[in-house]
Amino acid sequence: MADAGPKRLMCLGCGFLYDEKLGLPEHGIAPGTRWADLPDDWVCPDCGTPKSRFEMVAIPYAGETPDPGVAVAERL
Amino acid sequence: MMTGSYFVLRASERGYDRLASTGPNASYVAGHPDAFITRHSSFNFHEYQSGRAGFGKIRVFGDEVFSRPGCGYNMHPHHNFLIAAFILKGSLTHINTMGRIDVLGPGDYYLASFGSGGKHCELNLETEDMNAIYLWVVPDRLMLPPTYARSHFDADATRNRITTLIGNHQGALPIPQDLKVSRLVSDRAQTRIYLPTSPAHGVYTFVLEGKIGCDGATLERRDSIGIWDADRFTIETAAEAADVLFVETIM
Repeated sequence: MADAGPKRLMCLGCGFLYDEKLGLPEHGIAPGTRWADLPDDWVCPDCGTPKSRFEMVAIPYAGETPDPGVAVAERL
Repeated sequence: MMTGSYFVLRASERGYDRLASTGPNASYVAGHPDAFITRHSSFNFHEYQSGRAGFGKIRVFGDEVFSRPGCGYNMHPHHNFLIAAFILKGSLTHINTMGRIDVLGPGDYYLASFGSGGKHCELNLETEDMNAIYLWVVPDRLMLPPTYARSHFDADATRNRITTLIGNHQGALPIPQDLKVSRLVSDRAQTRIYLPTSPAHGVYTFVLEGKIGCDGATLERRDSIGIWDADRFTIETAAEAADVLFVETIM
C-alpha cells in the first residue's frame, strides 16, 4: 500500500469528506491526522456510518489542479 | 456473443431492506405509524448488503418503494454525492436546501449535486405507493457548489429510441462526471447496437419493465447486467413493451 501524501476519504453513507490534510478541528481532530490514526470506532459525524464504510478517493476539489501528492487509490 | 467483461444481477439477487417508520429507524424514515420503505439495492448500499461495491462511478442503484402516506426519508445531510431519482410510479415530494420543493410524477427525474453540503427530504404524501430508482454517483470534483435540476422523460415522444436523460447531451441534465443515463421504451422487435463512448466506459443496463436480450443474456423485469471492456453490445427487444435504463460510466 502506497502511504505517501495526504489521503481523502468519502463516507459512502452520505458523501462527507475526511481530508487528512485538513483534519476536522471542529470535531477535535487536528489537521494532518492520518486516517489510520482515527479510532476504529470513529463514525461519520454527519450520518453515523462506520469508518470501514469510507472510500479513499483521488478526486480534486472544485477549482483545484489535481494534486500528484494525493494517493491514487480507488479503494481501501 | 458476449465480448468484454460482464456480470448479470437477477432481480431476486439484489440486496433487500424493509425500513419501518417506527422502531430503530423512526427518525430516519418518515411517515407514521405504519409507513415503510422497501429497497432493492444493486450495489453494496451502506452496510446492508454484501454484493458488488459499485460499478464505475456508481455507488448506489436503489429500486425503492415508499408505502403509506408520509413515507420517505426525513431531512438528512449529504456532501459530494450526485444523487438522481427517476420516478416510475406514484408521486414524490422532494425538498432540498438548494431551495426547492418539488412534486415529481412518473417520467420525472431530478439530479442533485450535494457538493459542499446540503440536505434533502424525500416523501410520498399520497396513499398510492411511490416507486423510484435512486442513483448515487461519485463526482469528478469535491465540494462543488450544490445544485438541483429536474426534467421529464417523455416515453411517447421518444418511443423506440435510446434517449439521454443525464449527461453531456442536448436536452439532458448536465452532470459533473464522465457518466450518462439513458432510457429506452420499446414496443417493437428490434436489435440495437449500443456503442459505449469508449472501451474504458462500462454500461449498467437495468430492465424497468418487460424483457430484453443483451448480448445473448435474457433479462427480465428488474434484472440487470454490467458490461465493461467492450466496444459494443446488443440490445434485443420484442414487440411486447420494454422499458430499460442505461447508466454508462467511466470505469
